[in-house]
Amino acid sequence: MAWYNTTGQSADTVISSRVRLARNINGYPFVSRLDANGANEIIEKVSIPLDASGFRKINFADLSPIMATSYVERHYVSPEFATKESPHALFLMEQQGIAVMVCEEDHLRIQSILPGLALEEAYKNASNTEKRLDEDFDFSYSEQLGYLTHCPTNLGTGMRASVMMFLPALTRAGYMNSLANQLSKLGLTVRGLFGEGSGTAGYMYQISNQITLGITEEETLKKMNDAIRQISESEQKARKAITGDALERLSDHILRSEGILKYAYMISSSEFIKLFADVRFGIALGIVSNITYEQLGTLLVEAMPATLTLSSENTPKGESARDKLRAQKIQNILNKK
Amino acid sequence: MLCEKCKKRTATVFYNENINGKTRAYSLCGECAAKLREKGDLQDITSMIGTFADPFSELHDNLFGGFFGLPTQMSVPAEKKCGTCGCSYSDIARDGRVGCAECYTVFSNELSRMIQSVHGTTTHTGKIPARHRAQQERARKLENLKKSMKDAITNEDFERAAALRDEIRQMESEGTKKEEE
Ligand SMILES: [Zn+2]
Ligand SMILES: [Zn+2]
Repeated sequence: MAWYNTTGQSADTVISSRVRLARNINGYPFVSRLDANGANEIIEKVSIPLDASGFRKINFADLSPIMATSYVERHYVSPEFATKESPHALFLMEQQGIAVMVCEEDHLRIQSILPGLALEEAYKNASNTEKRLDEDFDFSYSEQLGYLTHCPTNLGTGMRASVMMFLPALTRAGYMNSLANQLSKLGLTVRGLFGEGSGTAGYMYQISNQITLGITEEETLKKMNDAIRQISESEQKARKAITGDALERLSDHILRSEGILKYAYMISSSEFIKLFADVRFGIALGIVSNITYEQLGTLLVEAMPATLTLSSENTPKGESARDKLRAQKIQNILNKK
Repeated sequence: MLCEKCKKRTATVFYNENINGKTRAYSLCGECAAKLREKGDLQDITSMIGTFADPFSELHDNLFGGFFGLPTQMSVPAEKKCGTCGCSYSDIARDGRVGCAECYTVFSNELSRMIQSVHGTTTHTGKIPARHRAQQERARKLENLKKSMKDAITNEDFERAAALRDEIRQMESEGTKKEEE
């Protein structure tokens, strides 16, 4: 089991929660000025306590691009990390949803990702791993500025809490821009995920804290939780406001999407995101009943290009072969009960 | 930090102006800086200390897929370098990142305005790493004692001031003993 094939609290509006702590080790320059020897030394050193704690080490220097991308698709590493040239490694405890990126932007990015709204638990996970490393390493820190990070935007706690939200009704009603403005006043940001251009095709957004200095970890978590609850409430209200003819049309649209998802012969990844979003909305509204959030969550990773390709014994050649494979994959997962 | 011209938007452009030997520092938002530049009131662009993007403008970019990064564009006359990693402030401004932990000390003046404009403060209040905890808590206590001693003197409570002074000395000598060990 991983974060993406289980559901958590507030699944109607929240897909996942993540907390990331940025830390650097004294005695080494920051990553952009670190040579390969220094990077390898850090990887070696942290692997001792992390191995002992049960983490699996994945050396990204030896990884094929497709394998590296599959970790991006599972949200364990950033796209920047996957394509880096210099030595870098991931330490992963997938069951617990804990991942440590070594030599990403900072020496250490300790993160925990969990399904649903679970920021406190994610923080506890990341914090426990950080505490274990704090015993062995002298983290770069100043009393004035807190944890010293490569980019000054992460100074202080070095903590970024983010929640992936599913907001179809607010998106359709055109509220996302004003929501972004309101959140910015609280020091929070929103970013659209998946889909080209507007990034709203999947109705999925990442809400995160912008400020890390002059605020405690607990204050940040509380601020995020309060905001997420309010956004969830607004989304639920906007969903209830869809009635009458609008609801009839929406139901038709959603059931057509369900039909395509279940029976199409080929599905491209951008089409998949749209279908995914429609069907997920359909489950929330009670229009779609025989597909679960868990199945959709699994698809959100397994139907992505790299993970999909890796799952097949014969690598699909060309786009249509991959789109055909995607349609088969979707049907397999939806038929599993 | 707010733009000193419109007092509405966050200041992202910082520069020094030198008039008859007197230096004045300005903090402006991108829009006001652009207007001044058009009017020719902001001629001395080479003396600009830094232009950091408004972190909150990322919000809108973020909605359209922007992610990491702090777009920067600036030029700097002085070329002070960090003794540890060799990076200069223009390197930092170009990359939006410092070179090493020491850079924060070396360029503390240059960075403080940018840090202030991003976070609205320059003082950490969050978690303290284990090996700094005792020391930082001790420093906070010492600071409080010194403040109480000053208050006692102001209130002419010299007996209390003397007691506080002894306590401060005791703490300070313990501190140096520890450092020697
Ligand atoms: Zn202005
Ligand atoms: Zn440096």
